[in-house]
Amino acid sequence: MAGEPGGALETAIARVLTVGTYASVALIALGVVAMAAAGVDPLAPAPAFDAARIPGDILALRPAGFLWLGILGVLATPASRVGASLIGYLRSGEREMVGVSVAILIVIAAGVVTGFTAA
Amino acid sequence: MLLIAGGVVAGLFGSLLGLGGGILIVPLLTLGFGLPLREAVGVSLVCVIVTSGASAAVYLERKVANLRLGTVLELFTAVGAVVGGAIAFLLDERLLAGLFAAMLAYIAVTMLRGAARPSEPSKPVEADTVAPELVAPEVVARSPAGPELAAPAARAFVRAMSAGERLSGVDYQVHRLGSGAIGSVGAGILSALLGIGGGLVKVPVMHLVMGVPLRVATATSNLMIGITASTSAIVYLLRGGIDPYAAGPAALGVFLGASLGSRTAHRIDLRVLRLLFVAVLLYTAFEMLRRAVGAS
Repeated sequence: MAGEPGGALETAIARVLTVGTYASVALIALGVVAMAAAGVDPLAPAPAFDAARIPGDILALRPAGFLWLGILGVLATPASRVGASLIGYLRSGEREMVGVSVAILIVIAAGVVTGFTAA
Repeated sequence: MLLIAGGVVAGLFGSLLGLGGGILIVPLLTLGFGLPLREAVGVSLVCVIVTSGASAAVYLERKVANLRLGTVLELFTAVGAVVGGAIAFLLDERLLAGLFAAMLAYIAVTMLRGAARPSEPSKPVEADTVAPELVAPEVVARSPAGPELAAPAARAFVRAMSAGERLSGVDYQVHRLGSGAIGSVGAGILSALLGIGGGLVKVPVMHLVMGVPLRVATATSNLMIGITASTSAIVYLLRGGIDPYAAGPAALGVFLGASLGSRTAHRIDLRVLRLLFVAVLLYTAFEMLRRAVGAS
């Protein structure tokens, strides 16, 4: 029955979601402030996603760096939640749920491959 | 500032009426700001994840969401999201606009019919949930779920999971996991194509087909939205379908609007708001339809 053995698991996952969401939104907010400070129009051509450029953009206080990192945080939070579930299911010995969680992570990886394949 | 304000309005409306911000963000960006539809969908997916993240955490802590059921079903929504993400870049934007117009018109008509029924006391709703009146039998009839569609793989999966017994709650039993799985694939595809959370399909399937109580179905759908939307958003990101300058202000606005909405819902008379929203939906559907036929 759901919820019986996993009260602590639900709480831990809720924490992952809360921290991930609020940290990502904070980064996005910083990016929006940086946009306003630099006078960047939201409809202006934006730099393409390049993970390698993010640290440099952040150090230079360029809005794109904060925004991309925040967006990456947003996209990574649900997968982190599945990762946290996986650890919880491993600890409680729920083999079927471990399998399902691993399968979800594989499908997410398939999404990455799909994105790269046609990029 | 205009984009943030638009996001706040979309998040506020969505939260107050239990529809999520995605329904309004795509029309706002395409019709209001002239963004290409596919980029608007990418931005909307980011907004949807942001708004569902915080509320899903609350649902989990309150033990309303069924984590195990959500985990199983989101495997299928994720598969649908990858398929939808791949298809979205092959389809003509006018076809996507037509699909969006049909979805908006459907929601508007269902809300109007819901408003005609005796009203229940309003209660606060969380971001990216589904309004109760949208959970009508015809929703299920039109949903991709159905016993006749149950694929062998899904049936094998059901057997492996002991027919949903281990996924049931303390006071309810989960039925027809195979149909739920197929409905979830459909929800994932729809989410990826239109930039919505997919609760429009997931909640009716869980509630009416699988026998999950509405409150639990809504909370579990909210939990699943993160994986559904993020899987397709990754495809959009890597194909250049997410504009950070548009996504940043929009996501911030929707997050603020949804937070405000969940705190004020109990103080607002939703009947007038609902009718106003229906008018906005119908107008937006009309404009989207014009775009679909190439008139704008």
